[in-house]
Amino acid sequence: MSGGPMAIVKPEMKSYIWLETADGSIQEVEEEVAMFCPVICRELLQNGKGSSKNCAISLPERVNPANLELILEFCRFHQVPGRSNKERKKHDEKFVRLDTKTLCDLASAADSLQLRPVVDLTSRALARVIEGKTPEEIRETFHLPDDLTEEEKLEPLRNMTDDPRIRLLNRLYARKRKELYDRKKLKNVDAEEEPRVDERSVDDLLSFINSGDQDSKGVRVTKNKKKSRGRKEQARNLSSNNEAGNYNKESNCHTSGCLNGDTNDGSSPSRNSKLQNSPSAMFSSKLDLDDFDIDDELDPARKEEIDREVEDFARRLDSVWPERIQQILSLGQETRRLRPISMNGNGSMKRCTAGVDLG
Amino acid sequence: MDTDLDRDLLSDLPQSIIESILVKVPLVDAVRTSILSRKWRYKWAAITELVFNDTCLTSGHDKSIISCNLVNFITRCLFLHDGPIHKFELNTSYSPASPDLDQWLLFLSRKDIKELIIDIGEDDWFRAPSCVFFCPKLTHLVLVRCELNPPPNFKGFLCLKHLSLQQVIIPPHDIEVLISSCPLLESLTLSYFDSLELTIRAPNLKYLNLEGEFKDIRLENTPHLIGISVAMYMTDDIAEHFEQCSGCNFDKFLGGVPCLERLIGHIYFTKYLSIGNEQGNFPVTYQNLKFIELYQVSFEDMKELLVVLRLIVSSPNLEELQISSSSITTTTDIYDLEFWERDWPADCTFGKLKIVHMTDFSGLPHEIAFIKFLLGHSPVLEQMIVAPTIYVTDKVVKMLIDLLTFRRASPQATVKFIQEPL
Repeated sequence: MSGGPMAIVKPEMKSYIWLETADGSIQEVEEEVAMFCPVICRELLQNGKGSSKNCAISLPERVNPANLELILEFCRFHQVPGRSNKERKKHDEKFVRLDTKTLCDLASAADSLQLRPVVDLTSRALARVIEGKTPEEIRETFHLPDDLTEEEKLEPLRNMTDDPRIRLLNRLYARKRKELYDRKKLKNVDAEEEPRVDERSVDDLLSFINSGDQDSKGVRVTKNKKKSRGRKEQARNLSSNNEAGNYNKESNCHTSGCLNGDTNDGSSPSRNSKLQNSPSAMFSSKLDLDDFDIDDELDPARKEEIDREVEDFARRLDSVWPERIQQILSLGQETRRLRPISMNGNGSMKRCTAGVDLG
Repeated sequence: MDTDLDRDLLSDLPQSIIESILVKVPLVDAVRTSILSRKWRYKWAAITELVFNDTCLTSGHDKSIISCNLVNFITRCLFLHDGPIHKFELNTSYSPASPDLDQWLLFLSRKDIKELIIDIGEDDWFRAPSCVFFCPKLTHLVLVRCELNPPPNFKGFLCLKHLSLQQVIIPPHDIEVLISSCPLLESLTLSYFDSLELTIRAPNLKYLNLEGEFKDIRLENTPHLIGISVAMYMTDDIAEHFEQCSGCNFDKFLGGVPCLERLIGHIYFTKYLSIGNEQGNFPVTYQNLKFIELYQVSFEDMKELLVVLRLIVSSPNLEELQISSSSITTTTDIYDLEFWERDWPADCTFGKLKIVHMTDFSGLPHEIAFIKFLLGHSPVLEQMIVAPTIYVTDKVVKMLIDLLTFRRASPQATVKFIQEPL
């Protein structure tokens, strides 16, 4: 490594290597300091890069000259072997007295360089910043958008009294509604903002009642990311649930209103609620992923997932479904159309009740 | 650059950093981040370490309400959680009712739990459900005040490295089986066990910490043991039992630990080792033993003194020695001081001994002779620190003078006499 290709040999016989940050600026650093960093170490030893200006080690994208400076300062202090633990701790305490923006950048850069000590330090400093602050203060410090509706913020409290099965049902209905709406939108190229606004307010109301935050979120996301590519496929694949979807469009408010009326006399919601909480939470987090991350590529997976959800949901409903049927029957004639869903999951009734008995 | 300043700083950091931050914050604060913004809704739910302690308690005076709230909080957290849980710690003085705790443990056993720490209630013992024994990835287990009954088909914790049981009720045979069925066990702590006869077979064990009333301890297969700390509480019937014991305790306990580096023996340890110990018989040397700390050594009991001497003579690389004398003094006037010249050859040296710290020194003849012995046989000694016991005040000056006159083998040895503040 030292010898011919070394661009510069300083009088103290230290070897230097070259590092290049994402923005193209190149700097040279003492080898022993840079070797403290696992990623750089690996590049140097395995790929033989960094020995000259031309083949400088290119650092990950999140490293910019400013935080590289800080990181190298850290390495420079700690790679000296003779220091006592107390000294190192003192240095580290001083080192993390930075503003939050720099801390976040530094954490990110250190993570991409796999420099665990710096990641731990910055995390601890950020944790200290977060700890004990009110949400408003935290939002202000980190410039987080306050984009949850008031109802969503209150959700954790609502979870206790709502019947989770109804929430699940409505969440799925809302989803189908969204798919169908999207299909309609595709046929109708110049979709207006106006009708959508109405739609959303209904959704909002529903989500207020159901605590199905995904509904409103889902619709809002569609508005923001108008991706028509995948929607057609998805909509087509929901043939098995079309009936339910159609049913939805007609009698949404009515049904949800009715079903919600049932929550208060719930025969065993408290017994089942704990078990039910997990699938609903599971679904919502899955939905979360869908809506925010890889929207495009998820179509076949999404279809499967929707099928799975419906099946799961049906299975869980099965345990007390007959009861529900009675109640719903007495309220409206549309109930008959709901049967197709429940028929799917008959086999696992035993499992469901067994799960319930545990509690 | 205004837009730069307004940019969301935190939410786009990689999940590993967010997790790193959220585990360093009390769990309650981590859960509160769910109402910060849309992206933060479920970020907390993916953290892999859940620590429930007194920071999770609501304020108030009614214990049953606080307890109920805590149970609800834990249950809700567990159910909202998404992903594997690697560490679960429950550390509170409130005892959750058994069905709740059992369900949590069952849930955790399905979530790849690696570290489990349960320390609850001050008065009640909880009964660990069988699901605890079927957590395949468990590496750390700490249980306090519980009843353990390993089921018959329990094959052991194959990944367990650290086991700590305090005030745990477990059938004596089962504890041995438990220890020997954890092949990777590196650290074992057993506290407050009653009248235990224990044989420890743990081929990878490095650190052993025992505290309690032990009748008999045997280290049968522990070749890699590095650190031992033992505190043996003696009751009258155990003392009787000791008298009748056969075999040499020293060999049984320290016979198979050639890699030992640190030895800490609390009250009665030397007494325990002294039983069955024959003079002049040193089969094992401890090449790596650098640090010995012994408490409550009775310098009036020749047998205990022999144990101490055997230990230090078998440790050629000993660097630091700390001994505190027993405060039990009898009124024997017979001290066999010839013993020192007669039985201990002048050529035995402690070649690496640097620091000696004697506390609760009361000026007994053998204590003084011991110090003299050390001073005269430690060529590289740097510090000899003597702290007298608070009960002896009138003889202090005389003792000091005596100590300073002893011949020192090491030119740089300093003798310090420290008066403990009252």
